[in-house]
Amino acid sequence: MTTAVSRREGQALWLEAVEAAAGARLSLCFQCQKCSSGCPIAATADIKPHELVRLVQLGDPDAVLSSRMIWECTSCQTCVTRCPQAVDLPAVVDALRRLSRDEQKVTPETAVPVFNGLFLTAVRRLGRVYELGLMAAFKVRTRRLFQDAGKLPAMLRKGKLGLKPTFLRGHSERAQVFRRAEGFESEKR
Amino acid sequence: MSYVFYPGCSLDSTGRGYRLSTEAVGRALGLNLPELPDWTCCGSTAAHQSNALLSLALPAKNLLAASGRTMAVCCAACYSRLKVANHEIANTAGTRGRVAGVLGVDYDGSTPVKHLLEIIRDDVGLSEVTKRVRAPLTGLRVACYYGCLLVRPPDVMRFDDPENPMVLDRLMQAAGAEPVDWPHKTECCGASCSITKVEIAERLSHDILAMARDSGADCVVTACPLCQLNLDLRQRDIEARFGDRLGLPVLYFTQLLGLALGLQPRALGIDSLTVNAAPMLARKGMAAASTRGQR
Repeated sequence: MTTAVSRREGQALWLEAVEAAAGARLSLCFQCQKCSSGCPIAATADIKPHELVRLVQLGDPDAVLSSRMIWECTSCQTCVTRCPQAVDLPAVVDALRRLSRDEQKVTPETAVPVFNGLFLTAVRRLGRVYELGLMAAFKVRTRRLFQDAGKLPAMLRKGKLGLKPTFLRGHSERAQVFRRAEGFESEKR
Repeated sequence: MSYVFYPGCSLDSTGRGYRLSTEAVGRALGLNLPELPDWTCCGSTAAHQSNALLSLALPAKNLLAASGRTMAVCCAACYSRLKVANHEIANTAGTRGRVAGVLGVDYDGSTPVKHLLEIIRDDVGLSEVTKRVRAPLTGLRVACYYGCLLVRPPDVMRFDDPENPMVLDRLMQAAGAEPVDWPHKTECCGASCSITKVEIAERLSHDILAMARDSGADCVVTACPLCQLNLDLRQRDIEARFGDRLGLPVLYFTQLLGLALGLQPRALGIDSLTVNAAPMLARKGMAAASTRGQR
């Protein structure tokens, strides 16, 4: 009895924590499945959007945080646009990505956190994204050396890839913005 | 109207043709678009997936630097991040203070942000565009592709109808082209998975390209450098994966508008497209001679 009650309390707490992290009211969802009907990745995802909402409502962190779906979601915003209850599912998925990373539940099937990390390091250091350097670093880190490699010569010929990064002033100011934003995120936890 | 132009990272590399054609069309329409000095990246998908506060602070830093002038944007992804930052800072309790804490300066979320399509529709006016057309795109059937970020979420973007936007269709009509009626105007191309999970991007892009072809379009026209890259650069791989012949040029709306205004294809970066647009333009009797040098 006690176990059942505390488990239920734990579930409710997790729902509340996700709602607070996302700034979205998942408890409003009544499972009409409109989100999954319009979702571009639902057909191939391990969890469909309406199932993800239900799993959060039921307080099942593991199934959600280690899913492929949270990393395959394209943030296209179709679900929230069509949701009759205006549940901000893209914000929920963003919050779950951050939780998944912080709790080290990221599925080995995704390379998204690696890509995001390299992308943001480039922004912090250079101020802008230098695509050629970012792609090279991503290929090395994920050992996908040949993905899209055949497109490189034509892209270079057509001027689609800059050969040199732009260095902007204000590196220490940018680093401070990143530090403060990261500090605030870890304080929240 | 006084603007400051925020190009964004893509326009310096993969979206170079978008930048060239935006600048050329801006000049032809008498728009003064000075670039925001020392602009920095909006943080894009990587920031909002990683750190909510950072994803607002990075756009806010640029919006603050615009010093009250209207920020002119042509990348749909930057446009989305800038507008979301304004919306959150102005409307969500506590956000303005937290962003100020990160930036060290207060920003109230009031810098106006306009996409180039809105500037042409509202500030230049479609009747003025029609007046300036020198080489109407007569007989060119275009699939106007808006993608996700211009129109969604509608209460933040306030751009056009989120299910059936028309601003690009009307502009193409003003340029003399014939927009096709098709259902995939705002379907997602999967650009955010384009590097990390190519098969998703290729499946979604194939759906869009095949629908454009089946709806009778000669080409696809976009207002987003990420959609353009995905639909154009990946098209050969998509054809191979699905065993489906597509052969659809994917142009920035500024390139087609530039042709209609009488500008040369090379000045609009049309020669840097992956799917060669020259045969289509020649077939339609448009600017055939000057694209002949395309590699």
